[in-house]
Amino acid sequence: MLAAQIFAVIIFIAMFLMIVLDKIERHFVTLGCGLLTLVVVFGICMRSGSAIWQTLAVRDFVKPDFWYQVTESESKGINWATIVFIAGMMIMVEGMAKAGFFRWLCMKIAFLVKCRTIPVFITFMIMSSVLSMFIDSITVIMFLAAVTIELAQLLHFNPVPMILSEIFCANLGGSATMCGDPPNIIVGTSLGFSFFDFLTNTGLCAGICLVFTVIFFYFAFKKELAPTSNEPVDIAQLPKPSTAITNKKDFIVSSIIFGLAVVLLVSHSATHLTVATIGTVIAVITLIANAKDALELLKKVDYKTLLFFVGLFIVVGGLEETGILKYIADFIGDISGGNAYIMVAIILWVSALASAFVDNIPFAATMVPIIQSLAATTGVPIATLAWTLSLGTDIGGSATPIGASANVVGTSVAAKNGYPVSWGRYCAKLAPATVIVLVISTVYVFARYL
Amino acid sequence: MSQIIISVGREFGSGGRVIAEELAKRFNLPIYDRHLITEIAEKTGLSTDEIEALDEAPKSRLTSRRVRGFSNSIEDNIAEMQFDFIRKKAESGESFVVVGRCSESKLRDFDCLVSLFIIGDMKAKIKRVMEIYDMDEEEAEDFISKKDKKRKRYHNYHVGLHWGDSRLYDLTVNSSRLGIDKTIDFLETYIKARMSK
Repeated sequence: MLAAQIFAVIIFIAMFLMIVLDKIERHFVTLGCGLLTLVVVFGICMRSGSAIWQTLAVRDFVKPDFWYQVTESESKGINWATIVFIAGMMIMVEGMAKAGFFRWLCMKIAFLVKCRTIPVFITFMIMSSVLSMFIDSITVIMFLAAVTIELAQLLHFNPVPMILSEIFCANLGGSATMCGDPPNIIVGTSLGFSFFDFLTNTGLCAGICLVFTVIFFYFAFKKELAPTSNEPVDIAQLPKPSTAITNKKDFIVSSIIFGLAVVLLVSHSATHLTVATIGTVIAVITLIANAKDALELLKKVDYKTLLFFVGLFIVVGGLEETGILKYIADFIGDISGGNAYIMVAIILWVSALASAFVDNIPFAATMVPIIQSLAATTGVPIATLAWTLSLGTDIGGSATPIGASANVVGTSVAAKNGYPVSWGRYCAKLAPATVIVLVISTVYVFARYL
Repeated sequence: MSQIIISVGREFGSGGRVIAEELAKRFNLPIYDRHLITEIAEKTGLSTDEIEALDEAPKSRLTSRRVRGFSNSIEDNIAEMQFDFIRKKAESGESFVVVGRCSESKLRDFDCLVSLFIIGDMKAKIKRVMEIYDMDEEEAEDFISKKDKKRKRYHNYHVGLHWGDSRLYDLTVNSSRLGIDKTIDFLETYIKARMSK
């Protein structure tokens, strides 16, 4: 077992380093490391066929509770539910983007507040949070940042503060629901929590934090949002929201599908439909509704990210099967001396710190078995640790330009349009905002669960 | 040939930039080298000094990330802006000379592209750098090595193929063999032959 443990750790560290160094595409990294885990750790060192099967978890697809779940259950190995759900949502989002939904929504809200800079600033922050509760933050920021730049050029303001605030709110909104951010999907599907569980726990915390965030950014960026030119503004020059709609029928259909996805997600603890089922249903409906362009939508799915998940879960499975994650859990239990307050503080702040610099998806995938073990050995409810982990990983990612995907996309869209954002510029306001929100989250978890 | 694009890659100190400038004069073409820096400076609001520091520079792997083709690295975004700029110029039918910027690969779909790579003997390059930058021999060698390393990393990252690999270029010429002037004459003959084809 010792050799298996050593190899599992070496493979995991090598995978993390290669992801950070970004020399090889990250899905090749995780798949390669996943293959090594299967062959070296499970095959050669452990000689355990059952470990391989358990980690590949292909039998999950034929289990009824993968699709319809009456009692909560936990999953091990490759978390296929996460992968199927994300794939389904990707197809739906592609359909919505093609119909012009996101651009229309951004323009509509800007017109509703008569394109005045501060109201646009505040409503876009809220919209960013709300959309990110249901849709991946990359898509949200891609459209929001593009419209922000368009508005900035017409209304003569610097778009960078607005884009940075939108990024922060997208990450915050993502923490509110099970499907908002990949770490939450992993936590939810691995530990058997529902969309509603997240909404009433991390969602409430995110809502409180959003109020403080809007106030903080308002005062932090008020001066920078002042008009950069005295030229009169003619909002008639802005394209009308309706021009964003590429095809009215597709637009209506994609809006209905989005509405259906929200209803299915909100009600899935009552309907017992799993996120895998919801992802599949939404994908199939989108493809049927866009039958002519189905192939194009399928081609646009980000398969690299899905493959990245497959490899990642195998490598983490290696650490889990060899007991390494149990050691880490015991270590956290020991240094906290069994004190739940210290344990929660460690999980929240270490998760946040790690997520600020490395991809929060592998971190969350690694931490899930650790908190499971911690809950079993220390008696702290698993739900408390799950909400703590979700808040830490989701919010911590906002602190630096590389902490979360939305940050990279938002700063890249800004730079491509002539507004480069340096690390210093980014961290000056978003790092303090992250610390404020983490403090609020810590107080929230302490007060509500301990 | 109605359109001609001359791409000049170069080792630091080989005289590649001077060769490119002279070719631009002889064929009466605009040259995109320093111009690309001012163009991006105007667009981004950064100073030309700041752009120059980030120009043809590889990104820092530890402080940058790439997500679905988007990158937070300013170096990456400046490079992308320059690639877009030269591609748009090429698509518009304009003839020009471009120095570096992975242009031999970024514009390889254009039949009118003549891609050159200028190298030089280390001794000649050191001598040239010592004269231009007022350095001693050791400093010059170190400077050349650092600059070439930076260009190589930049090129290989954006193209995925090896900087200076002769298969990427129509001609790879050692400017130390004939000297700068005769190298230009030689290249002029070659380009004329290509243009008359």
